[in-house]
Amino acid sequence: MVIEIIDILPKVSATNVEYTYSNSTLALKDVNLSIMKGELVAIMGKNGAGKTTLIRTFNGLIKPSKGNVLIDGKNTSSQTIAELSKKVGIIFQNPMHQLFSNTIEEEIKFSLKNLDLSEEEIQTRTDNILKNFNLEKYRKRSPLSLSGGETKKLAIATIFCRNPDILVFDEPTLGQDAREIVFFTNLIKEEMDKGKTIVIVTHNIEFAMQHVPRTILMADGGIIADGPTRSVLNKEFLADKTSLILPQITQFNRALQEIGIQCPPNINSRNEMIMFLKKHLKSMGIKTKEEA
Amino acid sequence: MDLIKFNNFSYRYKGNEEYALNDINLAIKENKFILLAGETGSGKTSLLRCLNGLIPQFYAGYYKGSVKIAGHDTVETSISNLSTIVGIVFQNPENQLIAMTVENEIAFGMENLGISRNEMIKRMDESVRLTEIGHLLRKAPFELSGGEQQRVAIASILVLQPQILILDEPTALLDPRMARKILTLLKKIQSDSKITIIISEHRMDLVLPLVDEIIMMKEGRIVGHDIKDNIINGDDFKNLNINHPLIYSIFNALKEEKLLSNKIPDSIPEAIEYLNKIK
Amino acid sequence: MSLEFLEAFKFLKKDTFLHNLDPRSKLLFSIIISISALLFDEIVPLFLILLNLIPIIASGRLIKKWLKSVRGLTFLFIIIIILNTFFYDFSHAISMILRITIMVSAFSIFFLTVDPNDLALSLISMRVPYEYAFSFSLAFRFVPTIAREAQNIQDAQQSRGYEMQTSGIINQIKNLFPLLVPLIICSIKRAFNVAEALESRAFGSQKERTFLYTIKFSIKDWIFTIYLLLFLMLAIYVSFNFSLMPEWLMWSLPV
Repeated sequence: MVIEIIDILPKVSATNVEYTYSNSTLALKDVNLSIMKGELVAIMGKNGAGKTTLIRTFNGLIKPSKGNVLIDGKNTSSQTIAELSKKVGIIFQNPMHQLFSNTIEEEIKFSLKNLDLSEEEIQTRTDNILKNFNLEKYRKRSPLSLSGGETKKLAIATIFCRNPDILVFDEPTLGQDAREIVFFTNLIKEEMDKGKTIVIVTHNIEFAMQHVPRTILMADGGIIADGPTRSVLNKEFLADKTSLILPQITQFNRALQEIGIQCPPNINSRNEMIMFLKKHLKSMGIKTKEEA
Repeated sequence: MDLIKFNNFSYRYKGNEEYALNDINLAIKENKFILLAGETGSGKTSLLRCLNGLIPQFYAGYYKGSVKIAGHDTVETSISNLSTIVGIVFQNPENQLIAMTVENEIAFGMENLGISRNEMIKRMDESVRLTEIGHLLRKAPFELSGGEQQRVAIASILVLQPQILILDEPTALLDPRMARKILTLLKKIQSDSKITIIISEHRMDLVLPLVDEIIMMKEGRIVGHDIKDNIINGDDFKNLNINHPLIYSIFNALKEEKLLSNKIPDSIPEAIEYLNKIK
Repeated sequence: MSLEFLEAFKFLKKDTFLHNLDPRSKLLFSIIISISALLFDEIVPLFLILLNLIPIIASGRLIKKWLKSVRGLTFLFIIIIILNTFFYDFSHAISMILRITIMVSAFSIFFLTVDPNDLALSLISMRVPYEYAFSFSLAFRFVPTIAREAQNIQDAQQSRGYEMQTSGIINQIKNLFPLLVPLIICSIKRAFNVAEALESRAFGSQKERTFLYTIKFSIKDWIFTIYLLLFLMLAIYVSFNFSLMPEWLMWSLPV
């Protein structure tokens, strides 16, 4: 049995990272974190807490003023953005910030340009990604002719086709309806199955509670909590510092306790709550559909 | 007379074959807080833009039927005249704050309408007080946080004293606590001044407890418009492709097992009230 | 270097004599100083004009900013010196440098101390139609927004493998497309959103527009204007009667 060293090293690690913008604002101070291969992590915090600055250190857009960021064990300061973006793919919030080609096909091919692939490989990858994202029918259309939801899909596709090991999403569920969020959730599940490492910057507390195992909380440029989502998001004082509110399930759980309904504190999902309440109501003598 | 009346109204943007709005019939009264719910692409944004004449005056296209706001036809009344009846707050505060200081921003609409300086100052004092932005008056818009920007945007519309306030996903770019603050502010404004507020919002769990009525849209059509309790207890709401609030989701499941002897609660407090009663 | 240079034109609110002057007097200032600089070829008069600017810059507490902008021009100055030494003479190069410094400083003072809001108001007071004056200040207001968007676009494109450095002129031009096209498209979309918002707040209504704040010429402005006019008259007089002026005024470098 051979254990690859590379699998034991964190995919992303930050040590004592500090960053100051040219206008003297301190954006990151004393940031330490470590993300292993295959993890799914959320980064949450107030607007201005440093979340987007932090993810920009992952692909070299920002190089720390102090401390270092290592991707696959290698320091980002010694690598170019072009190199790092092959390993770290960041999908930013606004898809309109990248669309400029005549056709969707060209848009994908543009993303594959600096990967040194053969013509054949480029074509194969383009065909595959268009198929997987259900964008085949728009192949020859202008990217500007797509609806909002589909441009977001295209933006994700332009990064996915490069097959980076580490995927970073900046506010992926913003303005999305239920179906679009389900699409996104399935997408990241598939990528997790392929062994990718995924980081999501988000405000969507409910989404994080339901789908993301680990959450890092940031405030004033530093990390104030890092752990299982269900314990990190359930703390009132942390929510205060990060302009978040407690997840609905947590609020409900506590409200139940207050009226004397002993809801176990480890009930953290909708289905668990439904089961608990079913039991509770039945114990009150209310019959279910079948029994009635 | 209805405050807002759509009569068989349809609208197609120029260059599109499909109709964005299909045969809309809607009657809305005063003093209501209304949620406009529907999936992306269902026509919510287009519907809201009919309310102050942007459709069909600003956006080129083809329309059928009529829209009347406080009796004024939205085709025959200029947008600037309609702006004294209807105010819109858009999603991105960045693109609606056009002045260099908050003060000038709030005054802008009134200046355009030729309102006297004394009247301007009076109205400003009132709306600044309501939105609690007194300490921001001399600041530049880009120096403000998202939540502050949205409050400034709301204040700058309130000074026009509209009877109807429209908000198109106003909390989309805000963090959760700020979103809750803005929505609570809107509820207070609505109940204090008795205006009608229509809001399109994805954050169902925050907004559902606050509204009186819900309008549901799908594929450019109205598929439901009723008081909140009727809507959330109906089948259409369940099947609508929106982010249902957790409480709704839980109690709907209980209802389907016939374990709920009451209406589906719209919020945690209502759910607790129900559970407490049956203890 | 170029970003530093631009800083010299960005307005920041301060409470100084210079900042509180009416924008119209400051516009007059920039124009008159520039004209007087154009009247002279000789080093000494130009130097005196430049010297004259310094107390004015100081009154706005802008010395540091001003020095930064001058530093930003050094590259240009070096080119001027090189070209002039080949085609003309060194003395002329110095005159040119002085003249450029004066004109840039004069307008830099204007942009540093005039609130874009007030600028629109001053245009209106000069009978420019409101819509034009307003577009002017709107452009100002959105400059930082568009700059931020350009940065975000650059970040997004670099994240998908777009490389900034390429060789060859043709490639460098082609390389701008991924940055410029999204910027233009986003700016057009923004323009639509802004227009919507403006319409919704009665912009363009037929009514006579009122103003919350107006600009007014104060005593200080009148004094400053009189000073500027006297300065201009003196400059014209000296320039037209240059041969009658004392020797030291006509001094030039031996080269």
